[in-house]
Amino acid sequence: MALLLPNMNHMKILFALILATMMMGCSSVVDPIEYGSDECHYCSMTIVEKQYASALVTDKGKTRKFDAVECLVNFIHENPEITANNLYVNVFDAPGKLVDATSCSYLISPMLPSPMGANLTAFSNMEQANAMLQKAPGKLYSWSELLALEKP
Amino acid sequence: MASTILVGPSARIHSIHEALKAAVNGDTILVDGGVYTEGSILIDKSVTLLGRNNPVIDGLAKNLELITIAADSVTIDGFTIQNGGVSFLRDLAGIRVQRKSFFTIRNNTLLKTMFAIYLEKASNGIIQQNTIVGEARDEISSGNGIHAWYCKNLTITGNTVYNQRDGIYFEFVENSKVSHNISKGNLRYGLHFMFSNNDDYADNLFENNGAGVAVMFSKQIGMFRNTFKKNWGSSACGLLLKEIYDGRIEQNTFIKNTTGIKVDGSTRIQYLRNSFENNGWAIKFVGGCYDNEITSNNFVSNAFDLVIESARNNNTIDGNYWSAYTGYDLNKDGVGDVPFRPVKLFSYIVSRSPEAMVLLRSLFIDIIDYAEKIRPMFTPENVIDHAPMMQKIIV
Repeated sequence: MALLLPNMNHMKILFALILATMMMGCSSVVDPIEYGSDECHYCSMTIVEKQYASALVTDKGKTRKFDAVECLVNFIHENPEITANNLYVNVFDAPGKLVDATSCSYLISPMLPSPMGANLTAFSNMEQANAMLQKAPGKLYSWSELLALEKP
Repeated sequence: MASTILVGPSARIHSIHEALKAAVNGDTILVDGGVYTEGSILIDKSVTLLGRNNPVIDGLAKNLELITIAADSVTIDGFTIQNGGVSFLRDLAGIRVQRKSFFTIRNNTLLKTMFAIYLEKASNGIIQQNTIVGEARDEISSGNGIHAWYCKNLTITGNTVYNQRDGIYFEFVENSKVSHNISKGNLRYGLHFMFSNNDDYADNLFENNGAGVAVMFSKQIGMFRNTFKKNWGSSACGLLLKEIYDGRIEQNTFIKNTTGIKVDGSTRIQYLRNSFENNGWAIKFVGGCYDNEITSNNFVSNAFDLVIESARNNNTIDGNYWSAYTGYDLNKDGVGDVPFRPVKLFSYIVSRSPEAMVLLRSLFIDIIDYAEKIRPMFTPENVIDHAPMMQKIIV
Protein backbone atom coordinates (compact mmCIF):
# COMPACT_ATOMS: atom_id res chain seq x y z
CA MET A 1 0.00 0.00 0.00
CA ALA A 2 2.78 2.34 0.93
CA LEU A 3 4.20 2.00 -2.55
CA LEU A 4 1.10 3.42 -4.16
CA LEU A 5 0.97 6.47 -1.95
CA PRO A 6 2.63 9.44 -3.54
CA ASN A 7 5.78 10.03 -1.67
CA MET A 8 6.76 13.63 -1.04
CA ASN A 9 10.02 13.36 -2.96
CA HIS A 10 8.30 11.92 -5.99
CA MET A 11 5.78 14.74 -5.88
CA LYS A 12 8.57 17.28 -5.85
CA ILE A 13 10.27 15.71 -8.84
CA LEU A 14 7.00 15.46 -10.71
CA PHE A 15 6.18 19.07 -9.96
CA ALA A 16 9.61 20.19 -11.12
CA LEU A 17 9.19 18.20 -14.33
CA ILE A 18 5.79 19.73 -15.07
CA LEU A 19 7.13 23.19 -14.37
CA ALA A 20 10.15 22.61 -16.58
CA THR A 21 7.95 21.39 -19.44
CA MET A 22 5.74 24.45 -19.12
CA MET A 23 8.72 26.78 -19.06
CA MET A 24 10.12 25.13 -22.17
CA GLY A 25 6.84 25.72 -23.97
CA CYS A 26 6.82 29.46 -23.48
CA SER A 27 10.47 30.39 -23.35
CA SER A 28 11.90 32.83 -25.87
CA VAL A 29 15.15 30.90 -26.13
CA VAL A 30 16.53 30.80 -29.65
CA ASP A 31 16.15 27.45 -31.37
CA PRO A 32 19.64 26.37 -32.53
CA ILE A 33 20.37 26.59 -36.25
CA GLU A 34 20.82 23.29 -38.07
CA TYR A 35 23.54 24.29 -40.49
CA GLY A 36 23.22 22.52 -43.81
CA SER A 37 19.50 21.78 -43.49
CA ASP A 38 17.65 24.86 -42.19
CA GLU A 39 16.41 27.29 -44.78
CA CYS A 40 16.65 31.08 -44.62
CA HIS A 41 13.22 32.49 -43.75
CA TYR A 42 13.81 35.49 -46.00
CA CYS A 43 15.69 34.23 -49.06
CA SER A 44 15.06 30.43 -48.93
CA MET A 45 18.74 29.63 -49.19
CA THR A 46 20.04 26.75 -47.08
CA ILE A 47 21.97 28.08 -44.11
CA VAL A 48 25.56 26.83 -44.10
CA GLU A 49 27.96 29.55 -43.07
CA LYS A 50 28.50 29.59 -39.33
CA GLN A 51 30.02 33.06 -39.41
CA TYR A 52 27.11 34.77 -41.11
CA ALA A 53 23.75 33.29 -40.03
CA SER A 54 21.26 35.15 -37.86
CA ALA A 55 17.99 34.51 -36.04
CA LEU A 56 15.01 36.28 -34.60
CA VAL A 57 12.69 35.01 -31.86
CA THR A 58 9.13 36.28 -32.23
CA ASP A 59 7.06 37.28 -29.20
CA LYS A 60 5.31 33.91 -29.51
CA GLY A 61 8.66 32.19 -29.06
CA LYS A 62 9.05 31.05 -32.65
CA THR A 63 12.57 31.23 -34.09
CA ARG A 64 13.02 32.62 -37.59
CA LYS A 65 16.40 31.74 -39.06
CA PHE A 66 18.38 33.59 -41.70
CA ASP A 67 21.52 32.75 -43.67
CA ALA A 68 22.94 36.26 -43.46
CA VAL A 69 22.64 39.38 -41.33
CA GLU A 70 21.37 41.29 -44.38
CA CYS A 71 18.41 38.90 -44.62
CA LEU A 72 17.54 39.58 -40.96
CA VAL A 73 17.75 43.34 -41.56
CA ASN A 74 15.64 43.15 -44.72
CA PHE A 75 13.09 41.00 -42.91
CA ILE A 76 12.84 43.56 -40.10
CA HIS A 77 12.40 46.36 -42.64
CA GLU A 78 9.59 44.51 -44.35
CA ASN A 79 7.88 43.51 -41.09
CA PRO A 80 7.91 46.66 -38.94
CA GLU A 81 5.75 45.05 -36.25
CA ILE A 82 8.74 42.92 -35.16
CA THR A 83 10.10 43.90 -31.74
CA ALA A 84 13.84 44.27 -31.59
CA ASN A 85 14.81 42.72 -28.26
CA ASN A 86 15.50 39.13 -29.32
CA LEU A 87 17.72 39.20 -32.34
CA TYR A 88 20.77 37.02 -32.71
CA VAL A 89 23.67 36.92 -35.15
CA ASN A 90 26.61 34.63 -35.77
CA VAL A 91 29.86 36.49 -35.31
CA PHE A 92 32.95 36.16 -37.45
CA ASP A 93 35.25 35.79 -34.45
CA ALA A 94 33.32 32.87 -32.88
CA PRO A 95 31.72 30.85 -35.69
CA GLY A 96 28.52 29.01 -34.81
CA LYS A 97 27.79 31.08 -31.69
CA LEU A 98 24.58 33.15 -31.63
CA VAL A 99 25.18 36.52 -30.00
CA ASP A 100 22.74 39.33 -29.15
CA ALA A 101 22.62 41.37 -32.35
CA THR A 102 22.24 44.73 -30.61
CA SER A 103 25.56 44.35 -28.80
CA CYS A 104 27.61 43.46 -31.89
CA SER A 105 29.70 45.60 -34.23
CA TYR A 106 29.26 45.32 -37.97
CA LEU A 107 31.70 45.77 -40.82
CA ILE A 108 30.74 46.34 -44.43
CA SER A 109 33.82 45.68 -46.54
CA PRO A 110 34.07 44.63 -50.18
CA MET A 111 36.97 42.42 -49.07
CA LEU A 112 34.65 40.21 -47.03
CA PRO A 113 31.78 38.86 -49.14
CA SER A 114 28.74 37.70 -47.12
CA PRO A 115 26.16 35.11 -48.26
CA MET A 116 23.66 37.56 -49.75
CA GLY A 117 25.99 40.02 -51.39
CA ALA A 118 25.94 42.84 -48.81
CA ASN A 119 29.57 42.30 -47.70
CA LEU A 120 28.27 42.57 -44.15
CA THR A 121 29.97 40.77 -41.26
CA ALA A 122 29.16 40.81 -37.53
CA PHE A 123 31.79 40.86 -34.74
CA SER A 124 31.16 40.25 -31.06
CA ASN A 125 32.80 43.53 -30.06
CA MET A 126 34.44 46.72 -31.31
CA GLU A 127 38.01 45.45 -30.86
CA GLN A 128 37.41 42.41 -33.06
CA ALA A 129 35.72 44.57 -35.70
CA ASN A 130 38.54 47.11 -35.62
CA ALA A 131 41.16 44.39 -35.96
CA MET A 132 39.47 43.15 -39.12
CA LEU A 133 39.02 46.70 -40.41
CA GLN A 134 42.82 46.99 -40.56
CA LYS A 135 42.97 43.99 -42.91
CA ALA A 136 39.72 44.57 -44.79
CA PRO A 137 39.03 48.29 -45.28
CA GLY A 138 35.39 49.30 -45.04
CA LYS A 139 32.98 50.99 -42.68
CA LEU A 140 31.88 50.04 -39.15
CA TYR A 141 28.30 50.21 -37.92
CA SER A 142 26.46 49.61 -34.68
CA TRP A 143 23.22 47.62 -34.83
CA SER A 144 21.06 50.78 -34.79
CA GLU A 145 23.20 52.42 -37.48
CA LEU A 146 22.86 49.26 -39.56
CA LEU A 147 19.07 49.30 -39.23
CA ALA A 148 19.05 52.95 -40.30
CA LEU A 149 20.65 52.04 -43.63
CA GLU A 150 18.18 51.96 -46.50
CA LYS A 151 19.37 48.53 -47.64
CA PRO A 152 22.59 47.05 -46.26
CA MET B 1 61.33 31.29 -78.49
CA ALA B 2 59.19 29.16 -76.18
CA SER B 3 60.97 26.27 -74.54
CA THR B 4 60.07 23.34 -72.31
CA ILE B 5 61.49 23.06 -68.82
CA LEU B 6 61.46 19.58 -67.31
CA VAL B 7 60.86 19.16 -63.59
CA GLY B 8 61.13 15.80 -61.84
CA PRO B 9 62.87 13.79 -59.14
CA SER B 10 65.47 12.68 -61.65
CA ALA B 11 65.59 15.85 -63.74
CA ARG B 12 68.04 18.71 -63.34
CA ILE B 13 65.30 20.88 -61.76
CA HIS B 14 63.50 19.31 -58.79
CA SER B 15 60.96 21.98 -57.86
CA ILE B 16 58.19 23.82 -59.64
CA HIS B 17 59.31 27.00 -57.87
CA GLU B 18 62.72 26.81 -59.46
CA ALA B 19 61.26 26.10 -62.88
CA LEU B 20 58.92 29.10 -62.60
CA LYS B 21 61.84 31.31 -61.72
CA ALA B 22 63.70 30.19 -64.84
CA ALA B 23 60.68 30.34 -67.17
CA VAL B 24 59.67 33.17 -69.49
CA ASN B 25 56.24 33.91 -70.96
CA GLY B 26 55.12 31.18 -73.35
CA ASP B 27 57.22 28.40 -71.82
CA THR B 28 55.92 24.96 -70.90
CA ILE B 29 56.90 23.48 -67.57
CA LEU B 30 56.65 19.71 -67.85
CA VAL B 31 56.33 18.18 -64.39
CA ASP B 32 57.03 14.48 -64.02
CA GLY B 33 55.33 12.11 -61.53
CA GLY B 34 56.25 12.56 -57.87
CA VAL B 35 55.07 14.45 -54.81
CA TYR B 36 55.82 18.16 -54.68
CA THR B 37 55.49 19.85 -51.30
CA GLU B 38 56.43 23.42 -52.02
CA GLY B 39 53.85 25.36 -50.03
CA SER B 40 52.11 28.05 -52.05
CA ILE B 41 52.95 28.27 -55.74
CA LEU B 42 52.53 31.66 -57.42
CA ILE B 43 52.33 31.62 -61.21
CA ASP B 44 53.09 35.14 -62.39
CA LYS B 45 54.17 34.30 -65.94
CA SER B 46 52.10 33.15 -68.91
CA VAL B 47 53.18 29.51 -68.84
CA THR B 48 51.72 26.05 -69.28
CA LEU B 49 52.12 23.72 -66.32
CA LEU B 50 51.82 20.23 -67.73
CA GLY B 51 51.78 17.14 -65.53
CA ARG B 52 53.14 13.81 -66.79
CA ASN B 53 52.53 10.55 -64.87
CA ASN B 54 50.24 12.29 -62.38
CA PRO B 55 52.45 14.58 -60.29
CA VAL B 56 50.97 15.44 -56.88
CA ILE B 57 51.09 18.91 -55.37
CA ASP B 58 50.54 18.38 -51.66
CA GLY B 59 49.87 21.23 -49.22
CA LEU B 60 50.23 18.90 -46.20
CA ALA B 61 47.12 20.56 -44.68
CA LYS B 62 49.17 23.57 -43.59
CA ASN B 63 46.24 25.90 -44.36
CA LEU B 64 47.75 27.46 -47.44
CA GLU B 65 46.58 28.61 -50.79
CA LEU B 66 48.14 25.99 -53.11
CA ILE B 67 48.32 27.55 -56.58
CA THR B 68 47.63 31.17 -57.44
CA ILE B 69 47.37 32.23 -61.05
CA ALA B 70 48.47 35.85 -61.32
CA ALA B 71 49.18 36.12 -65.05
CA ASP B 72 47.09 35.89 -68.22
CA SER B 73 47.10 32.80 -70.45
CA VAL B 74 48.12 30.21 -67.87
CA THR B 75 47.29 26.50 -68.33
CA ILE B 76 47.33 23.89 -65.56
CA ASP B 77 46.86 20.39 -66.91
CA GLY B 78 47.22 16.93 -65.39
CA PHE B 79 47.95 17.41 -61.69
CA THR B 80 46.61 16.07 -58.41
CA ILE B 81 46.34 18.95 -55.99
CA GLN B 82 45.56 18.01 -52.40
CA ASN B 83 45.42 18.82 -48.69
CA GLY B 84 45.02 22.56 -48.73
CA GLY B 85 43.65 22.80 -45.20
CA VAL B 86 40.92 25.12 -43.96
CA SER B 87 40.69 28.52 -42.40
CA PHE B 88 37.95 30.56 -40.76
CA LEU B 89 39.57 33.79 -41.79
CA ARG B 90 40.47 33.20 -45.42
CA ASP B 91 38.83 31.36 -48.26
CA LEU B 92 41.69 29.01 -49.10
CA ALA B 93 41.74 27.58 -52.60
CA GLY B 94 43.42 24.72 -54.43
CA ILE B 95 43.76 26.90 -57.52
CA ARG B 96 42.91 30.59 -57.41
CA VAL B 97 42.70 32.88 -60.41
CA GLN B 98 42.97 36.52 -59.52
CA ARG B 99 41.81 39.17 -62.02
CA LYS B 100 43.31 37.30 -64.98
CA SER B 101 42.03 36.03 -68.33
CA PHE B 102 42.50 33.25 -70.86
CA PHE B 103 43.32 30.52 -68.35
CA THR B 104 42.72 26.79 -68.80
CA ILE B 105 42.43 24.40 -65.88
CA ARG B 106 41.92 20.84 -67.06
CA ASN B 107 42.45 17.17 -66.23
CA ASN B 108 43.27 17.87 -62.61
CA THR B 109 42.14 16.09 -59.46
CA LEU B 110 41.57 18.29 -56.42
CA LEU B 111 41.26 16.47 -53.10
CA LYS B 112 40.55 17.90 -49.66
CA THR B 113 40.80 21.53 -50.54
CA MET B 114 38.53 24.12 -48.91
CA PHE B 115 37.60 25.81 -52.18
CA ALA B 116 38.91 23.69 -55.06
CA ILE B 117 38.95 26.27 -57.87
CA TYR B 118 38.32 29.89 -56.92
CA LEU B 119 37.86 32.43 -59.73
CA GLU B 120 37.97 36.02 -58.56
CA LYS B 121 37.20 38.76 -61.13
CA ALA B 122 38.51 36.42 -63.82
CA SER B 123 37.32 36.12 -67.40
CA ASN B 124 37.53 34.01 -70.55
CA GLY B 125 38.59 30.85 -68.77
CA ILE B 126 38.04 27.15 -69.33
CA ILE B 127 37.57 24.68 -66.49
CA GLN B 128 37.46 21.25 -68.04
CA GLN B 129 37.48 17.57 -67.00
CA ASN B 130 38.57 18.13 -63.42
CA THR B 131 37.58 15.87 -60.54
CA ILE B 132 36.92 17.58 -57.25
CA VAL B 133 36.32 15.71 -54.02
CA GLY B 134 35.84 17.70 -50.83
CA GLU B 135 35.15 16.92 -47.22
CA ALA B 136 31.92 18.73 -46.53
CA ARG B 137 30.85 16.71 -43.57
CA ASP B 138 31.15 19.83 -41.49
CA GLU B 139 30.05 22.71 -43.64
CA ILE B 140 32.33 25.33 -42.18
CA SER B 141 35.40 23.40 -43.20
CA SER B 142 34.34 23.33 -46.79
CA GLY B 143 33.97 25.88 -49.51
CA ASN B 144 32.57 25.48 -52.98
CA GLY B 145 33.98 23.19 -55.65
CA ILE B 146 34.19 25.73 -58.45
CA HIS B 147 33.58 29.20 -57.08
CA ALA B 148 33.24 32.17 -59.43
CA TRP B 149 32.81 35.73 -58.20
CA TYR B 150 32.50 38.67 -60.60
CA CYS B 151 33.51 36.67 -63.68
CA LYS B 152 32.71 36.74 -67.40
CA ASN B 153 32.82 34.28 -70.29
CA LEU B 154 33.63 31.09 -68.40
CA THR B 155 33.25 27.60 -69.83
CA ILE B 156 32.86 24.91 -67.18
CA THR B 157 32.52 21.51 -68.75
CA GLY B 158 32.95 17.82 -67.99
CA ASN B 159 33.88 18.25 -64.34
CA THR B 160 32.84 16.02 -61.45
CA VAL B 161 32.29 17.62 -58.05
CA TYR B 162 31.58 15.69 -54.83
CA ASN B 163 31.16 16.67 -51.20
CA GLN B 164 31.72 20.40 -51.30
CA ARG B 165 29.43 23.14 -49.95
CA ASP B 166 28.06 24.11 -53.37
CA GLY B 167 29.36 22.07 -56.29
CA ILE B 168 29.56 25.08 -58.59
CA TYR B 169 28.83 28.60 -57.34
CA PHE B 170 28.26 31.71 -59.46
CA GLU B 171 27.99 35.16 -57.92
CA PHE B 172 27.88 38.10 -60.33
CA VAL B 173 28.92 35.91 -63.26
CA GLU B 174 27.88 36.72 -66.82
CA ASN B 175 27.84 35.05 -70.22
CA SER B 176 29.08 31.71 -68.97
CA LYS B 177 28.26 28.10 -69.77
CA VAL B 178 28.12 25.10 -67.45
CA SER B 179 27.74 21.82 -69.30
CA HIS B 180 28.24 18.06 -68.95
CA ASN B 181 29.24 18.25 -65.30
CA ILE B 182 28.30 15.83 -62.53
CA SER B 183 27.59 17.36 -59.15
CA LYS B 184 26.82 14.91 -56.34
CA GLY B 185 26.54 14.80 -52.57
CA ASN B 186 27.20 18.47 -52.07
CA LEU B 187 26.02 19.91 -48.80
CA ARG B 188 24.00 22.84 -50.12
CA TYR B 189 23.45 23.03 -53.88
CA GLY B 190 24.84 21.18 -56.86
CA LEU B 191 24.94 24.46 -58.78
CA HIS B 192 24.11 27.88 -57.39
CA PHE B 193 23.51 31.16 -59.22
CA MET B 194 23.38 34.43 -57.30
CA PHE B 195 22.93 37.79 -59.06
CA SER B 196 24.18 36.27 -62.31
CA ASN B 197 22.71 37.03 -65.73
CA ASN B 198 22.83 35.56 -69.23
CA ASP B 199 24.25 32.17 -68.29
CA ASP B 200 23.32 28.69 -69.53
CA TYR B 201 23.64 25.28 -67.97
CA ALA B 202 22.99 22.14 -69.97
CA ASP B 203 23.42 18.36 -69.87
CA ASN B 204 24.51 18.24 -66.25
CA LEU B 205 23.60 15.65 -63.61
CA PHE B 206 22.65 16.82 -60.12
CA GLU B 207 22.16 14.02 -57.65
CA ASN B 208 21.73 13.75 -53.93
CA ASN B 209 22.67 17.32 -53.07
CA GLY B 210 20.98 19.42 -50.37
CA ALA B 211 19.15 20.78 -53.40
CA GLY B 212 20.07 20.21 -57.02
CA VAL B 213 20.32 23.73 -58.39
CA ALA B 214 19.37 27.12 -56.97
CA VAL B 215 18.91 30.05 -59.30
CA MET B 216 18.45 33.23 -57.30
CA PHE B 217 18.07 36.89 -58.20
CA SER B 218 19.19 36.23 -61.76
CA LYS B 219 17.95 37.03 -65.26
CA GLN B 220 18.10 35.20 -68.58
CA ILE B 221 19.31 31.83 -67.33
CA GLY B 222 18.90 28.93 -69.77
CA MET B 223 18.48 25.45 -68.28
CA PHE B 224 18.55 22.63 -70.81
CA ARG B 225 18.60 18.82 -70.71
CA ASN B 226 19.78 18.50 -67.10
CA THR B 227 18.89 15.62 -64.80
CA PHE B 228 17.80 16.35 -61.23
CA LYS B 229 17.71 13.21 -59.14
CA LYS B 230 17.08 12.11 -55.57
CA ASN B 231 17.24 15.45 -53.84
CA TRP B 232 15.39 14.23 -50.75
CA GLY B 233 14.69 16.03 -47.47
CA SER B 234 12.07 18.26 -45.89
CA SER B 235 13.27 21.42 -47.61
CA ALA B 236 15.10 19.74 -50.47
CA CYS B 237 14.24 20.19 -54.11
CA GLY B 238 15.61 19.50 -57.55
CA LEU B 239 15.56 23.11 -58.65
CA LEU B 240 14.94 26.19 -56.54
CA LEU B 241 14.02 29.41 -58.32
CA LYS B 242 13.96 32.62 -56.32
CA GLU B 243 13.24 36.02 -57.86
CA ILE B 244 14.21 35.25 -61.41
CA TYR B 245 13.15 36.70 -64.74
CA ASP B 246 13.07 35.53 -68.36
CA GLY B 247 14.54 32.07 -67.98
CA ARG B 248 14.04 28.97 -70.08
CA ILE B 249 13.69 25.48 -68.63
CA GLU B 250 13.67 22.90 -71.40
CA GLN B 251 13.99 19.13 -71.70
CA ASN B 252 15.13 18.59 -68.14
CA THR B 253 14.32 15.45 -66.17
CA PHE B 254 13.23 15.54 -62.53
CA ILE B 255 13.16 12.12 -60.85
CA LYS B 256 12.49 11.24 -57.20
CA ASN B 257 12.89 14.65 -55.63
CA THR B 258 10.88 15.81 -52.63
CA THR B 259 9.99 18.80 -54.78
CA GLY B 260 10.94 18.89 -58.46
CA ILE B 261 10.93 22.66 -58.85
CA LYS B 262 10.17 25.10 -56.05
CA VAL B 263 9.45 28.55 -57.38
CA ASP B 264 9.41 31.58 -55.10
CA GLY B 265 8.91 34.61 -57.28
CA SER B 266 9.47 34.17 -60.99
CA THR B 267 8.33 36.03 -64.07
CA ARG B 268 8.31 35.08 -67.74
CA ILE B 269 9.83 31.62 -67.40
CA GLN B 270 9.15 29.02 -70.09
CA TYR B 271 8.83 25.39 -69.00
CA LEU B 272 8.99 23.32 -72.13
CA ARG B 273 9.23 19.55 -72.66
CA ASN B 274 10.46 18.63 -69.19
CA SER B 275 9.70 15.34 -67.47
CA PHE B 276 8.62 15.09 -63.85
CA GLU B 277 8.52 11.53 -62.52
CA ASN B 278 7.94 10.18 -59.03
CA ASN B 279 8.44 13.44 -57.18
CA GLY B 280 6.55 14.49 -54.05
CA TRP B 281 5.62 17.75 -55.69
CA ALA B 282 6.46 18.26 -59.37
CA ILE B 283 6.24 22.06 -59.36
CA LYS B 284 5.40 24.15 -56.34
CA PHE B 285 4.77 27.86 -56.84
CA VAL B 286 4.96 29.90 -53.65
CA GLY B 287 5.08 33.67 -53.75
CA GLY B 288 4.28 35.75 -56.81
CA CYS B 289 4.77 33.96 -60.11
CA TYR B 290 3.53 35.70 -63.25
CA ASP B 291 3.49 35.16 -67.00
CA ASN B 292 5.04 31.73 -66.85
CA GLU B 293 4.32 29.24 -69.57
CA ILE B 294 4.14 25.51 -68.84
CA THR B 295 3.74 23.58 -72.09
CA SER B 296 4.42 20.07 -73.40
CA ASN B 297 5.76 18.66 -70.14
CA ASN B 298 5.23 15.14 -68.79
CA PHE B 299 3.88 14.81 -65.26
CA VAL B 300 4.09 11.14 -64.31
CA SER B 301 3.29 9.58 -60.92
CA ASN B 302 3.97 12.58 -58.72
CA ALA B 303 2.14 12.77 -55.38
CA PHE B 304 1.21 16.33 -56.37
CA ASP B 305 1.67 17.70 -59.87
CA LEU B 306 1.23 21.37 -59.24
CA VAL B 307 0.70 23.74 -56.34
CA ILE B 308 0.01 27.41 -56.89
CA GLU B 309 -0.31 29.31 -53.65
CA SER B 310 -1.07 32.78 -54.94
CA ALA B 311 -4.72 33.62 -55.56
CA ARG B 312 -4.06 35.37 -58.82
CA ASN B 313 -2.84 33.21 -61.66
CA ASN B 314 -2.02 34.35 -65.16
CA ASN B 315 0.34 31.51 -65.93
CA THR B 316 -0.41 29.39 -68.98
CA ILE B 317 -0.55 25.64 -68.40
CA ASP B 318 -1.60 23.99 -71.65
CA GLY B 319 -0.80 20.88 -73.67
CA ASN B 320 0.94 18.82 -71.01
CA TYR B 321 0.71 15.09 -70.31
CA TRP B 322 -0.63 14.23 -66.84
CA SER B 323 -0.64 10.60 -65.73
CA ALA B 324 -3.39 11.60 -63.25
CA TYR B 325 -5.72 12.64 -66.08
CA THR B 326 -8.73 10.34 -66.31
CA GLY B 327 -10.64 11.94 -69.19
CA TYR B 328 -11.42 10.40 -72.59
CA ASP B 329 -10.48 11.34 -76.12
CA LEU B 330 -13.59 10.43 -78.12
CA ASN B 331 -12.64 12.34 -81.25
CA LYS B 332 -9.20 10.70 -81.22
CA ASP B 333 -7.18 13.87 -81.82
CA GLY B 334 -4.70 13.01 -79.07
CA VAL B 335 -6.05 15.74 -76.79
CA GLY B 336 -8.32 14.96 -73.83
CA ASP B 337 -11.93 16.11 -74.29
CA VAL B 338 -12.29 17.77 -70.90
CA PRO B 339 -9.74 20.11 -69.33
CA PHE B 340 -7.52 18.94 -66.47
CA ARG B 341 -7.16 20.65 -63.10
CA PRO B 342 -3.69 19.79 -61.81
CA VAL B 343 -4.11 21.42 -58.39
CA LYS B 344 -5.72 19.14 -55.83
CA LEU B 345 -7.59 20.48 -52.85
CA PHE B 346 -5.54 18.26 -50.56
CA SER B 347 -2.31 19.99 -51.65
CA TYR B 348 -3.81 23.21 -50.25
CA ILE B 349 -4.58 21.55 -46.95
CA VAL B 350 -1.03 20.16 -46.78
CA SER B 351 0.59 23.50 -47.51
CA ARG B 352 -1.45 25.08 -44.67
CA SER B 353 -0.75 22.28 -42.19
CA PRO B 354 1.98 19.86 -43.26
CA GLU B 355 0.94 17.32 -40.59
CA ALA B 356 -2.13 16.54 -42.70
CA MET B 357 0.24 14.61 -44.99
CA VAL B 358 -0.50 11.43 -43.00
CA LEU B 359 -3.94 11.43 -44.65
CA LEU B 360 -2.46 11.10 -48.15
CA ARG B 361 -4.15 8.30 -50.10
CA SER B 362 -6.93 7.90 -47.54
CA LEU B 363 -10.52 7.47 -48.70
CA PHE B 364 -11.55 10.76 -47.08
CA ILE B 365 -8.99 12.69 -49.11
CA ASP B 366 -10.04 10.95 -52.32
CA ILE B 367 -13.61 12.01 -51.63
CA ILE B 368 -12.84 15.69 -51.00
CA ASP B 369 -10.49 15.80 -53.99
CA TYR B 370 -13.20 14.29 -56.14
CA ALA B 371 -15.82 16.74 -54.84
CA GLU B 372 -13.46 19.62 -55.55
CA LYS B 373 -12.79 18.30 -59.03
CA ILE B 374 -16.50 18.28 -59.87
CA ARG B 375 -17.25 21.65 -58.37
CA PRO B 376 -14.07 23.68 -57.62
CA MET B 377 -14.47 26.04 -54.68
CA PHE B 378 -11.04 26.38 -53.15
CA THR B 379 -8.61 25.62 -55.94
CA PRO B 380 -8.03 28.52 -58.32
CA GLU B 381 -10.56 28.45 -61.14
CA ASN B 382 -8.07 29.27 -63.86
CA VAL B 383 -5.27 26.84 -63.02
CA ILE B 384 -6.28 24.53 -65.77
CA ASP B 385 -4.81 22.62 -68.70
CA HIS B 386 -7.27 23.14 -71.57
CA ALA B 387 -5.57 20.62 -73.81
CA PRO B 388 -4.21 17.71 -71.74
CA MET B 389 -2.34 15.24 -73.95
CA MET B 390 -3.43 11.58 -73.98
CA GLN B 391 0.06 10.20 -74.66
CA LYS B 392 3.37 10.93 -73.05
CA ILE B 393 5.21 13.58 -74.98
CA ILE B 394 8.46 12.43 -76.49
CA VAL B 395 11.10 14.95 -75.48
